Amino acid sequence: MDISKAIAISASGMDAQTARLRVIAENLANQDSTGSSPGAEPYRRKTITFEDKLDKELGVDTVKVRSVGLDKSDLPKRYDPSHPAADAEGYVRTPNVNSFVEIMDMREAQRGYSANLNVMEVTRTMLTRTIELLK
Amino acid sequence: MDPTDIGLFRLAEKRLNWVEQRQQVLAQNIANAYTPDFKARDLSPFESSLTEQGVTVARTDPAHLEGQHSAASGKEQASRGKSPTGNTVAMEEQLGKVADTASTQELVTNLYHKYQGMFKMVLGRSG
Repeated sequence: MDISKAIAISASGMDAQTARLRVIAENLANQDSTGSSPGAEPYRRKTITFEDKLDKELGVDTVKVRSVGLDKSDLPKRYDPSHPAADAEGYVRTPNVNSFVEIMDMREAQRGYSANLNVMEVTRTMLTRTIELLK
Repeated sequence: MDPTDIGLFRLAEKRLNWVEQRQQVLAQNIANAYTPDFKARDLSPFESSLTEQGVTVARTDPAHLEGQHSAASGKEQASRGKSPTGNTVAMEEQLGKVADTASTQELVTNLYHKYQGMFKMVLGRSG
């Protein structure tokens, strides 16, 4: 039945946005995680991408997480010779997490989540109305 | 009496089917709103599905399955503005369509109900 398929699709969309929010939470929580020995790599920002996937059982396009990767951009350096991870010149490499970018992403994930939730609610109302035809 | 022989009931059934399929396509669009290279899709309008003769698979053996030949996959929409990821889903537009689909469904179910009520009235059961 198409109505219940629509609910399954929305659920997969909400799943994907939740995974995205999880990655954002990881990034924000680790925005100050540096290495502990000289020259050690700090935390690298994680990225997430989605893909549409044909659900063979339902015959519809659902969405799933394609991959969680690492942001390859340059790590910023900070001068702090007293830090345990400082290199010979006294610079510490810090995570390439930009909290503004993350907050922006978070808003987008939230918007995506509520859009899917909205579709699910509408679909459910439609289903109830169809059932009410029996009364 | 078979109620499916009555024009209005049959039409309502077709329309409800179309509404369900459209809701499915729109749910796909919104779920994939952040998927790179995903193209937004939509069904052809209901009016055209009334005149179009759908192509069906011939069943030459009773053991054959009917197969799913629904229009649910939908047609690609003309893209109005692409995001840098190649995605053409405009969330506001899609949500507007969802609301439109829901109100169509409400209209059809209400009409169905009213018509059914008339039958009940004739049969002497208060509708």
